[in-house]
Amino acid sequence: MTHERPILSIEGLSKSYPTGFWRKPVRVLSDLSCEVRENEIVGFLGPNGAGKTTTIKILNRLAFPDAGKVTLFGGRVRDGADVRRRIGFMPEQPYFYEYLTGGEFLRLCGQLCGMSRTEMESRSSELLSRVGLSGARDTAIRKYSKGMMQRLGLAQALLHDPELVILDEPMSGLDPMGRMEVRGIIRDLKAAGKTVFFSSHILSDVEALCDRVIMLHKGRKVAEGRVEELIGAETLHIELVVSPVLPADRLAAAGIPPEAGYAHGALLVLRAPDNGQANRWIAALLREGCMVISCVPMKKGLEEIFMERVGVSVATGTAS
Amino acid sequence: MIRRILSIAANTFRETIRNKILYAILAFALFVIGMTFFLADLSVGDFARIIADVGLASIHIFGVIMAVFLGINLVSNEVDRKTIHIILSKPVRRSEFIFGKTLGLSVTLLLTTLAMAAVLFLVHLSYQYGGRAEIGIFIASAGIYMELVLLTCLASLFSTFTTPVLSAIFTLSLFLVGHLTKYLYVLGEQSKAAAVRWGSRFLFFLLPNLENFNWKNEVAYGGLKSFSILGWAAGYLAAYAACVLCLSCLLFARKDFK
Ligand SMILES: Nc1ncnc2c1ncn2[C@@H]1O[C@H](COP(=O)(O)OP(=O)(O)OP(=O)(O)O)[C@@H](O)[C@H]1O
Ligand SMILES: [Mg+2]
Repeated sequence: MTHERPILSIEGLSKSYPTGFWRKPVRVLSDLSCEVRENEIVGFLGPNGAGKTTTIKILNRLAFPDAGKVTLFGGRVRDGADVRRRIGFMPEQPYFYEYLTGGEFLRLCGQLCGMSRTEMESRSSELLSRVGLSGARDTAIRKYSKGMMQRLGLAQALLHDPELVILDEPMSGLDPMGRMEVRGIIRDLKAAGKTVFFSSHILSDVEALCDRVIMLHKGRKVAEGRVEELIGAETLHIELVVSPVLPADRLAAAGIPPEAGYAHGALLVLRAPDNGQANRWIAALLREGCMVISCVPMKKGLEEIFMERVGVSVATGTAS
Repeated sequence: MIRRILSIAANTFRETIRNKILYAILAFALFVIGMTFFLADLSVGDFARIIADVGLASIHIFGVIMAVFLGINLVSNEVDRKTIHIILSKPVRRSEFIFGKTLGLSVTLLLTTLAMAAVLFLVHLSYQYGGRAEIGIFIASAGIYMELVLLTCLASLFSTFTTPVLSAIFTLSLFLVGHLTKYLYVLGEQSKAAAVRWGSRFLFFLLPNLENFNWKNEVAYGGLKSFSILGWAAGYLAAYAACVLCLSCLLFARKDFK
């Protein structure tokens, strides 16, 4: 269940980076507007260089936009400690002080967030075990592997129990187990009433986890919506599997174009363009003495939608 | 706010004391200062001069090397290594970060200066003064330490907007010029052109006057006349450092991190 109150809203965000002394600056974000509502999991998608990290940096005041406004928790983002205390952030490939141990680093984060010593100790052991780093608490970060750094990055983001968690590619660099654990953590955050905004390239994870997605391409938003709406809105075709395989002439006689199907062993697979056709075909096939084994609407995955939106916008981008 | 500055300072302190290069410089410095023990044998008569010329000069030079070496990397390392991303995403102001980093390094430099002064003190104590404790060493070192803090502030100011190498060049230039501003002023006053006189007065006012922290000679020649010179130097340090730090914060306030 999601509430409609936006916890994060971005309006008309634009950002350019200078490329050289006299060359034209490159546009990284163009008039990006979107929002994240309370208790949602929102995926932030886009190909390499789309501007995801830049947007996330702006949200954390590590970069400043040329134009546009970011509103967090209904008020403007200030350097204000109250707003920051309610946000957890994990950067892309998090970097830490190598001379500290994992435990020391979390203690520093806790101090900076104004946590009490006892609260900090209990939270950090809880989180270290949640991300599978209990054994590495007293190991110097210098000796951590890439995946371990990623896990520590997640632990520090969640340490102060933030309401809004912003993660830049939380699954990258993790093994399949690690990815599953991170998915579990994100789901638990939602169950605990938190809001999660994360960027990712792993579309299957996004599809499985997110309530909504925002797609970015070349600094522009190309899609925003609920996952099931984006996916559900576009049924590709309905796949019928029947048995036995009918020859082409009997199919044609039953009013089914033979090119709509192919034999797969002892089964005949048919692709009906819509529900009406599918029902008419089923009736005809039953009359012909066939058995219907399955009837599945084939929907576009996030991947197809992503490719399509990105492709389309490339085309319109070059046309204009 | 104070708690966050102190946390950052404590972490910076830990960072610097886990720095192996710092230990190497410190070990070499202590060795050189320890060697003044044998120097006393060679020189004729006046041990006080040895303190002034060799011992305190070593403390000064090695202190400057440490301050510049650590100062230029103070902020730029965090930006380059992206460790600053997590820190600034916490409820930490950028100004608190700058103040904390500078404070942490100042504490490290306090310890290294104390260590060097203590070795010189022991050399002095062990030699033919018949166990006389020369407190002047610590008084002169206090001046050196104040200068180091100021250089640290300058180095970290430069490191907010330029590369470590350029920061080092700028800081060392200011170190040299800072010991010569008096001459600049005297030369300027001799000029007939008013513009030059005002220009040199302006520069004299703008540039750090590091001779304010230098009372090595007074200490060597029979001690300080009065402690007011220390108070004046501390006040000058506080005012100048505050200006430099505020300028750093201003330059740092809206910087984009890569
Ligand atoms: N500091 C910078 N200076 C100049 N250009 C930059 C800077 N940071 C990012 N860019 C440019 O901005 C664009 C967007 O970069 P960004 O890191 O936001 O992409 P991204 O969507 O996070 O990509 P990825 O999926 O690879 O992480 C890129 O073209 C990049 O070259
Ligand atoms: Mg990125």
